Amino acid sequence: MANTIIGSSITIDGEISGDEDLVIQGTVKGKISLKESLFVEASASVEADIEVQNVEITGKVTGNIAATDKVELKADCRVVGDVRAPRILIADGASFKGNVDMDVKER
Amino acid sequence: MAATKEGFSGSGDSTIIGPSILISGKLSGDEDLTVRGRVEGELSLTKTLIVEPSGIVKANVQVRNAIVSGVVVGNISATESVELTREGRMVGDINSPRVIIVDGASFRGRVDMGNAEPRAPGERPATRPATRPVLRTQPAAVTRPTTIARPGGKPLPPAAPVIASKGDKGSDKPAPPPPPQPVLVGEGGKKKVLLKTKKK
Repeated sequence: MANTIIGSSITIDGEISGDEDLVIQGTVKGKISLKESLFVEASASVEADIEVQNVEITGKVTGNIAATDKVELKADCRVVGDVRAPRILIADGASFKGNVDMDVKER
Repeated sequence: MAATKEGFSGSGDSTIIGPSILISGKLSGDEDLTVRGRVEGELSLTKTLIVEPSGIVKANVQVRNAIVSGVVVGNISATESVELTREGRMVGDINSPRVIIVDGASFRGRVDMGNAEPRAPGERPATRPATRPVLRTQPAAVTRPTTIARPGGKPLPPAAPVIASKGDKGSDKPAPPPPPQPVLVGEGGKKKVLLKTKKK
């Protein structure tokens, strides 16, 4: 567990940036930009524009998501916003509203 | 540092801000927070903030406990304690009933532990309220007119403080003879009395 964890009772209103994996269990509003993977867990609520390499969403996300590699919407997630990534996976049971753009191999 | 880590290891799932992470903005929560990266802006927790050696916090911090082994620039207001460990560096004001600054820590700023009242409510409060108000009003009444009459000069004030200090010493133990004897301080006098009774 060397990566960063935002616990379930934590609220962040602002900007998060970094070069490592980030796990969100709490609430984040604003902007997230990472060079690694983002995990939005079931208890999490994210209201932010997201720029990452990979993102895996099990919780709630409102905002635009841009990934250089992959976006994965797991079952039970709720996502509202545009998704842009070369690989986008939407699992059975996921709820999603927004545009999907997979036509971006280079960013 | 090992001791502090052990002390707070009980809470398993606390939030960790990794070394390459920068958070700027407002951060609040009800759990322990360990900062190994950077946090800028505002930080408020109902539990413990741990700033590890690699951690940098540039924020106004409101927490219950704070343990600083990294860098903090900003004010910390803690409801319980603030500890600057050997590796801790801080610039800013600390407002907390308990402040611990360990040898090796570097700190620049103000410390406010609040009123000294909350500590040791056990022994003396019974005698204090009865004696103090009466004795304090007298010196205050003496000093005030002089200072008001001569706001610029210093000739008269020296006389007033002497009276005031006598009054304060006497206030601790009202039993020994009246203030006029300056050498006989409350506790010393009582010890002598006890020795005499034992010899006899």
